[in-house]
Amino acid sequence: MLNRLHAYLIFLALTPALADTTVGGRQLPADAASYAKQVLRVPCDNTRNEVTFDHAVSVYQRYGCVQDLFSDTLVDLDSLYRPEPAAAESWSVADDGVTWAFHLRPGQLWSDGTPLTAHDYMATFRLCASPDHAWDFAWFYSFIGEGGLRNWDRIVAGEMPPDSLGVTAIDDLTLQLVTEGPFPAMPAAMKFGYTLQKRALEEHGPYYNNDPATSVSSGPFVLTEFDPGYRIVLTANPDYTGYRPPLLQRIEGVYMSPATYFLAFQRGEIDLVGHEQLTPADFATIEEDPTLQANYLRHYGDFRTDYLLFDTFSPPFDKLAVRRAFAHAVDREAIVAGVYGKAKAVAAHSMLMPGFPSADTTGALADLQRFDCGLARQYLADAGYPEGDGFPALEMWMRGEPPATAAVYQASAASIAQCLGVQIQVSNKDGRVFMDALNARPTRLQMGAVSYGMDFLDAANLLGVWMSGGRHSWSDSTFDHLVTSAAAMIGQAEVRDRMFRQAERILVDQVGGVFIAHRWAGDLMKPHLLGDSFRQPDAKGIAGRRWGDDSLWGDMYIGDRQ
Amino acid sequence: MLLFLCRRLFSLAFVLLGVSILVFWLMHSVPGGPFDTQQGQLTAATRANLEAKYGLDEPVWKQYLNYMSHALRFDFGIPYQQPQTTVAALIGRTWLVTLQVGLLTIVVAFSIGICAGLYAAYHQNSWLDHLVTFCATLGVTVPNFVIGMWLILCFSVARSWLPLGGWGTSGACLFGKYFCTDWILPVVAYALAPMAIIARYTRASIVDVAGEDFIRTARAKGLSEVALMRRHVLPNAQIPMVTALGTEIPNLITGSIFIETIFRINGLGKYFVTSALNRDYPMIMATFLLIALLWGVTYMLTDVAYTVLDPRIQFGRRSRR
Amino acid sequence: MSAIRDTVSHGFAWQATQRLLRNRLAILGLILVAGISFGAIFADWLAPHPYDYARFDRVLLMPLQHPDHLLGTDEVGRDYLSRLIFGARTSLLVSLLVQGLALAIGVPLGALAGYVGGRTGFVVSRIIDVMTAFPSLLFAILLISVLGGGLHSVVLALSVTGWILIARLTRAQFLTLRERDFVLCARALGVPAWRIALRHVLPNALTPIVIAVSFGIPATIFAEAGLSFLGLGINDPMASWGKMVGVSNAYVRVYWHLALFPTLAIALTMLGCSLLGDGLRDALDPRHARPL
Repeated sequence: MLNRLHAYLIFLALTPALADTTVGGRQLPADAASYAKQVLRVPCDNTRNEVTFDHAVSVYQRYGCVQDLFSDTLVDLDSLYRPEPAAAESWSVADDGVTWAFHLRPGQLWSDGTPLTAHDYMATFRLCASPDHAWDFAWFYSFIGEGGLRNWDRIVAGEMPPDSLGVTAIDDLTLQLVTEGPFPAMPAAMKFGYTLQKRALEEHGPYYNNDPATSVSSGPFVLTEFDPGYRIVLTANPDYTGYRPPLLQRIEGVYMSPATYFLAFQRGEIDLVGHEQLTPADFATIEEDPTLQANYLRHYGDFRTDYLLFDTFSPPFDKLAVRRAFAHAVDREAIVAGVYGKAKAVAAHSMLMPGFPSADTTGALADLQRFDCGLARQYLADAGYPEGDGFPALEMWMRGEPPATAAVYQASAASIAQCLGVQIQVSNKDGRVFMDALNARPTRLQMGAVSYGMDFLDAANLLGVWMSGGRHSWSDSTFDHLVTSAAAMIGQAEVRDRMFRQAERILVDQVGGVFIAHRWAGDLMKPHLLGDSFRQPDAKGIAGRRWGDDSLWGDMYIGDRQ
Repeated sequence: MLLFLCRRLFSLAFVLLGVSILVFWLMHSVPGGPFDTQQGQLTAATRANLEAKYGLDEPVWKQYLNYMSHALRFDFGIPYQQPQTTVAALIGRTWLVTLQVGLLTIVVAFSIGICAGLYAAYHQNSWLDHLVTFCATLGVTVPNFVIGMWLILCFSVARSWLPLGGWGTSGACLFGKYFCTDWILPVVAYALAPMAIIARYTRASIVDVAGEDFIRTARAKGLSEVALMRRHVLPNAQIPMVTALGTEIPNLITGSIFIETIFRINGLGKYFVTSALNRDYPMIMATFLLIALLWGVTYMLTDVAYTVLDPRIQFGRRSRR
Repeated sequence: MSAIRDTVSHGFAWQATQRLLRNRLAILGLILVAGISFGAIFADWLAPHPYDYARFDRVLLMPLQHPDHLLGTDEVGRDYLSRLIFGARTSLLVSLLVQGLALAIGVPLGALAGYVGGRTGFVVSRIIDVMTAFPSLLFAILLISVLGGGLHSVVLALSVTGWILIARLTRAQFLTLRERDFVLCARALGVPAWRIALRHVLPNALTPIVIAVSFGIPATIFAEAGLSFLGLGINDPMASWGKMVGVSNAYVRVYWHLALFPTLAIALTMLGCSLLGDGLRDALDPRHARPL
């Protein structure tokens, strides 16, 4: 493959007119630089702990700068976050509502010439479920729908062998997935349907992609150079026959400290920086420079919401009046405008960000947790703590937050303390100590500040985390009933939507959490980084990379640098 | 002397044993295990699987004996953070880089620090002396991550004179891979604080000795300043200097997490912090045993230095009657 | 003549105080330390605003940008000057306590190891060896989960290893000084060992110890800041200089005042302590009053 690429590049050099076609045969756009210059340079985080390129091996320890480019997922998400064909060209569900069939697009190949089949997907799912592999995303497939994938939980616990999993290859091009209970959002959930190659798994084990010699890819790129901690180089896969043939010739990942991403960007060493690594000082610089401002492309990201959570099973938060007092004491608008920055967030009065399915866009829920200090004090007095007298001193925990986010949570605590006259100290705990306290039964976390972003685009996900027995110490049986029923409902989209909205109203009204802000994500890009999928604003006027839209790898290219 | 060294080496083994017990017990007492990831929730079954796989479900004393039996055969296990390599290989690879950074920093910090200290001591209470004290104060109070960022801003971003980071991987090198331009900024940032410390200890130790009566006597007897410095002042001043400066050496050769992350140096420094935060038990044990070994050897060598510099000092004997 | 008269008619303490007061730099150090301590003690009266009062429309103001905020505001909208003054309280308390404990533990242990020697000295030295490799980060995490956060946990966590350098320095000094003639003389005269160590050897051994303490102060302040970043130190909204510098790193390219003022405060504290420490050492040991 490498020789072929080199030969092609030499051929290109000799025939300059053809320098505008990719190795896959696509024509570059008119304003593109020559093919040899189609190099994207991305920063890689040298403080993270990373072990693999593949989703199926580890989700939280992937080489985050160039992850998941060695296979295509079963579905992709379009600009409205609806599933569209990717590696699978169609799908259907049987009448029982639990048996799904995904039909793979024929003719897809691995970079070693062998065909991509449903047996690869089956082997990957079985690997993920296997107790030896101890996959860190295993919770997801027991979480989808009622009961999750068939036998998933029992296999993970070691009670049944992996080949009893409800994922089978009916034939080379048909993959069957069976769930325990109906789960209408299954196609969208298959945004996570990555695959590894069965043969390579058997020969080299799950980490076969860490070495260019044993790496195989069915995705748009192949691994050509890998120097852990220093540099990663991916090159366009000439044998790629999938849905997103790349215009880029090469992706280079350079390892550096996140504190220096923006500096490297300014020096021209990298072509894009994500919003999470842009400090408030960087944002101030961006806002002052029209070119930078125009090239900061905002998007929804994963619809992440910042909120405060409580232990509602113990005093003082077992009283609804206390929680309502806290909810009305946070001056969200001022905090977002002053501390967070309008470019980074919008004030939140509920869990679902406007733009997310079943989110409140009419402001119907805005009143329930609106900032009203007088009302907050009234509620606190009703609860038996007039002027904050007698209220216990609180310690609010954060989970290893970076300074900018910590500032927002501190501001929220300050807002409550100043309005109600209570004492709140804020502590930024080590992540493991935090989770240890949160997950303890009974929980040891009295008050915390966290954020949560979606795993798949459905209200069942973001509302599902609030169900009893989950990570939040709050319980409401009506809420549970509404969310469970709606999650399993097939067809009847309006009924389902209405049920989710009712559930969210209960969550906000009964103050399961105090919602502070919805985050805007964004990427700062160099002006020469082009591609319609993220440069053209969509129907809502939002440009930028969309979560779940990996088709942009077939669309991104380097323009002619002036 | 040989007997002394043998006894010390033998006691070093006991020190290492003591450290291993202390660290093992402590790290297992700390809440939070290596598999409680921050974002996802591991199912109880998955966590149980992982703990069984790594032998973490056994009683702590059993795990300790297991670990020690492997360690004595130089098998330090596999880091949880990077299961594809071994602890020994990881430390070997990363420490090599850190050693280079550290040794270079030692050379720079010691040479400039000692010279500055000598100069300041010689011109005691002059404006030069106060300048050195002032610079030393700044060098220690401005943390090295702030200095690092400012150096990058001045020399790498505002003006592209020097590369942003890396160690021998970016920028030009003399003779192929020695004296690379990307060595300059990290070493400067790293050396400022030790330089300050060394300068102050040097100056103070020399001033301390120079005020002694025997120095006045020697000078009165007509000894030149240089000979005075060389034969009387320096040997006596070096006892406290050796202690303080000796302390800097193991610190510098084990690296700094700030310098290494900001300047993109793939070294060992960050593992001292990240293995504790990630509860990576094999790495924690290995790094702390390494620290104990380095410090034990340093202490041994400084004690030897004491006896060389001041032959009256003898260990293992009660003071002369 | 007057010097002889002074020696004859006044005690050691009086002479030492006189020497201290004549040392201009030491007086400067004293003024700095006293000034900062004064600010720390009377912070409630001196600070123009409460240190935890946040106004979200006055976030990240630069110095003098608003008449109410001389040194600007921080990232949550709190007055920076007030936080600096209250921060003195936390930082001074932590650093002086930790260094005090380090002296209280390190000097006697080092003296024991260096002066007594023999088997005791050997054992104490090995204990120091083991404690040097003590995992303070892990211990701090453990301590917090057992004792909860707050000042006492921080001081405890930092004191466990803070005394080691001082012990080593003291030991080295005692090792060399115990062989000196004046010590042999005192022993020959029958002076008990503890009195020799305290009254004769210790004043001569002070120089590196004083320097170690003066370096220890910024080191402790930053160590406390480091612990705060893991949730092990002082909780917000309480201010501490080290934490203010640490947080400022994300903002420093534009909002340089967040880093500058606490760093200056730490530097001034350290300078004051080293000048005062040097002065004290000079006062207790008159040989150093003369130049080279």
